[in-house]
Amino acid sequence: MRPCGVFDKSYGLDIAIIRTWQHWVILISALILLFLFPLFGSYYIISFMNYLAISVIVGLGLQIVSGYCGQISFGQAAFMAIGAYTSAVLTIKFGVSFWIALPLSGIMAGLVGIIGGAPSLRIKGMYLAMATIAIHFVVIWLILHMEITGSFKGLFPPPPSLGGFEFDTDERMFYIIMTVMVIMTYAARNLVRSKVGRAFVAIRDNDLAGEVMGVNLYYYKLLAFFVSCFYAGIAGSLWGHLITVVNSEQFTLMHALEYIGMLIIGGMGSIPGVFFGVLFIRILNELVMFTSPLLAKAVPWLGSSPAAALGLVAFGLALIIFLIFEPRGLAHRWEIFKASYRLYPFAY
Amino acid sequence: MGKRSAIFLSIILAVCLSISGLSSSSFAKEVAYLSLADYTGPIAGLNVPGDMGLEDVLKETNAKGGVDGVKIKFIGIDTRYDVARAVSAYKRYRRTPRLLVVNSISTGIGKAVARLIERDKRLQLVPGDGEFQAHIQRTFIWGPAYQDAFAATLDWIMDDWKAKGKSGAPVVGYLSWDNPYGREHLRGGKEYAAKLGIKFLPPEFFPPGTLKHDVYLTRLAKAGAHYIHAGGVDPTPTNVIRDAYALGITKKIQMTTDYWGPTALGIGVHAKALEGTVITSFYQRGDESRNNPFVADLWKKYRGSMAKFNEVYGMGMSWGMTYVAALKVALKTVGYDKLTPDDMYKAYQKITGFDKQGIQGACAYSPTSRRGSLEVKIYRVKNGKIVPITGWRKAPDAVSLHKF
Amino acid sequence: MIEFLQQAITGMMIGSLYALVAAAIVLVYKSTHVVSLAHGQLVAFGALFFWLFIGGLGLPFWVGIIPAFVLTALIGLLIERLTLRPLIGQPLIAAFLMTFAIFLVLEGVFVLYLKGETRTLPAFLPEGNMDISGISVPINQFIGFLAALFLFAALSLIFKYTKIGLGMRATAEDHRLAQGTGITVRNIFSYIWVLSAIVAVVAGIATANVMDIYYMLPYIGISGLIVAICGGLDSLLGALVVGLLLGVVENVGAAYLDPLVGGGVKDVAAYVVLLLVLLIRPYGLFGLVRIERI
Repeated sequence: MRPCGVFDKSYGLDIAIIRTWQHWVILISALILLFLFPLFGSYYIISFMNYLAISVIVGLGLQIVSGYCGQISFGQAAFMAIGAYTSAVLTIKFGVSFWIALPLSGIMAGLVGIIGGAPSLRIKGMYLAMATIAIHFVVIWLILHMEITGSFKGLFPPPPSLGGFEFDTDERMFYIIMTVMVIMTYAARNLVRSKVGRAFVAIRDNDLAGEVMGVNLYYYKLLAFFVSCFYAGIAGSLWGHLITVVNSEQFTLMHALEYIGMLIIGGMGSIPGVFFGVLFIRILNELVMFTSPLLAKAVPWLGSSPAAALGLVAFGLALIIFLIFEPRGLAHRWEIFKASYRLYPFAY
Repeated sequence: MGKRSAIFLSIILAVCLSISGLSSSSFAKEVAYLSLADYTGPIAGLNVPGDMGLEDVLKETNAKGGVDGVKIKFIGIDTRYDVARAVSAYKRYRRTPRLLVVNSISTGIGKAVARLIERDKRLQLVPGDGEFQAHIQRTFIWGPAYQDAFAATLDWIMDDWKAKGKSGAPVVGYLSWDNPYGREHLRGGKEYAAKLGIKFLPPEFFPPGTLKHDVYLTRLAKAGAHYIHAGGVDPTPTNVIRDAYALGITKKIQMTTDYWGPTALGIGVHAKALEGTVITSFYQRGDESRNNPFVADLWKKYRGSMAKFNEVYGMGMSWGMTYVAALKVALKTVGYDKLTPDDMYKAYQKITGFDKQGIQGACAYSPTSRRGSLEVKIYRVKNGKIVPITGWRKAPDAVSLHKF
Repeated sequence: MIEFLQQAITGMMIGSLYALVAAAIVLVYKSTHVVSLAHGQLVAFGALFFWLFIGGLGLPFWVGIIPAFVLTALIGLLIERLTLRPLIGQPLIAAFLMTFAIFLVLEGVFVLYLKGETRTLPAFLPEGNMDISGISVPINQFIGFLAALFLFAALSLIFKYTKIGLGMRATAEDHRLAQGTGITVRNIFSYIWVLSAIVAVVAGIATANVMDIYYMLPYIGISGLIVAICGGLDSLLGALVVGLLLGVVENVGAAYLDPLVGGGVKDVAAYVVLLLVLLIRPYGLFGLVRIERI
């Protein structure tokens, strides 16, 4: 995003993500503001931002596999569960530090993701989406029926600690989660504009054509699944250590569907789109959750339960409206805004 | 801007406006009660009538001027059985001034919120996991633990077995949902069965929403079960027993359920299939609840006709009554100005023996007990009605038998 | 042996329900190429409407079933006209997500009406069991099973011998070619949703006969979708065969594998079958293999 009249004078400038000094100022001050936020932000907003950031990490992973590589996956909740459980098992049963368990849980989820993505070698589209749903249920079933995962009792991972400092509150976890989110966003942003990212887009747009042009389909599809599940695993680990209890009922198919819904609303194939989608759906969810008691109060004959049911309707309607009126998602609006910023003060 | 975008933006605007237009009012002296309930998900059948009862008790109390002039605000949040949502909701409300009690109507949610509850020095209510009795903390359960009630069922089974004049040990089968709830009864329940000398068959588990339970029932029947305990929140037990009836099993085998078993509403339609079913309940059921003037009057006042009355409403009322009773104690000890959730926690432990108007056995919360009551009543379905076959009887302590 | 057969037959009765739901999904896919998640709700609403007229108003069976058909078909029509038609020309995954959104909206309405309660259909079919050489079969389920078979036969006849059926088959083959031969593809889409909704009502009534009408009822749509995909999304025969098979596999699996793995086989049996089928025959057991060109 750059203003009118700024030209790239060197290759380095051309490929830079941040192109002008104004952007650097904005970026750095935004980051400083973000990391100082716990000092003045309200508790609820901080914990909500933690949840948003975790959702963003999951969403980024999904964006890579579904938005960029075109392989629709409904398994994201299950891979998040694998991350959460790996981290919990490592820290509780093997005494591994959180800082080592975090990347390991990402890798574990990624490896399982390769197995989960294996059907993509033969099937695609709807069929693959259904296969990932099947994988979701198999994973959750295994978690519920294995001893090491604590079966139905669940696990209680400890909060992370660094040199005696316990990250045991939302305000403290905020720093870990936000740091990870910023790194993961940067990584995703870079990945999708590299050779790998272009290969993903080629597969999405037409896999046969991509293969003819020399894209190794199997390698890149599995890589996409690995990366996507790596993201989910990292998010799962953070989630587990944030709420310090994991059980099989926390990761439902509904969550996986919600993540896809986030991409639809945010915009497929766009990194900022993930942020828009996550914000939109999570805020909508919260609004719905907290307005239904008010609604029940304002319209007493309705009662609490029906007011809650309206929440479901609102979520569904939001999806319908976006699918019909804005199929390219909020990211499309953002692109339009960027374009007009670049062209200002000219019309085109 | 095209026509489509105009429509799109206006829809979004309208939604935002309508949401922001709603606002809540507040009283001068107010305490809060937060219910993290599943109003639209799998256990809505339990939560909706339960919270109705609670809400009506609070309304009634407020209408009479509150407790010493303090009004009670009810906040009901729909969690859809989703832990992440519930935790988020709790975090949203945890700084609410004088939020004294959180009722997490799902044990999974309760476990996730428990750590925050400890930190906030608040009090939480959850359904019935014995774990919370085994590790005494700030989480209380509604009645006797699942395993206690199950043990009471086993006691009744032994009585019934002896009354029928049979020798040897009865064989008991167990089938329930394949989730944490479904397995909780066995932690302690199994040990109690061994103590009584009951032969306990390998438990059967099935996913919620299973269409037919024939496989499990025939397997248990073939293994020689004399009694089968059907778990799950209604309508699951009703459906299991319907299947058993269709298989002709109910003639030979006695079916039992726990306190989430069939209510009078469901029994009305499946009277034939459910005939003879034994329900172990810690709250009044059937006509007993319907004819309890205390319950019926409140229902009629706020909900109208008794046609749709559900006994779980009475159980919900007892949440409200306990809250009001504890609030009285807390206000007496510290007064409104200094009232903190911790005082409410202390007050809940002081109301031991408080009378619940026959809806349940006497309150059993105490510094050493997290159980809402110790007593259960055994009911039986007779001619399409739920009839008590025992008085209130103490449920055995099965929690202490299991190593948690 | 008798025990195995008994389990298989019981499973097959349940399987016929899956097959019915799958048939409704296959019908829609065949001509519109939309994979529908919303059918679980159509099934639930079909059952609910039927209950309203039979249980609520106390109408006799044949009188009550007609408004149930009409109302559910209306929902199907509205879904097609209001939400799916604007998506023509967009990727099919968008349509799939649209059906998910519809599922959510309808579920909201469903729980709004039920308020956590349960509705039970009055017994409109004879109760009791038949005994066929040692294997007992509940009569009401057997009637449901026969109805399913009858419906499948009727559907294939409609497809084969009526003009609308011909139009539907042509549309299934290629939308543009069909349009070229004078078939109004849009109307066909509407007809197919009506037909599909009617099948869903039958599925709903048959299911509600076994299980009460409550929160879990719409989730039979997932089983239906699994069956439809395993059988091949465009094959009615596949829906029937795989539906029955899946019922048998679930039940027999639960009967013989449960003691080995400690229970809970029924939770995943369907998903494992789905994964295996997708790996071995990606287009389903009876599906049409489509060859892709650049």
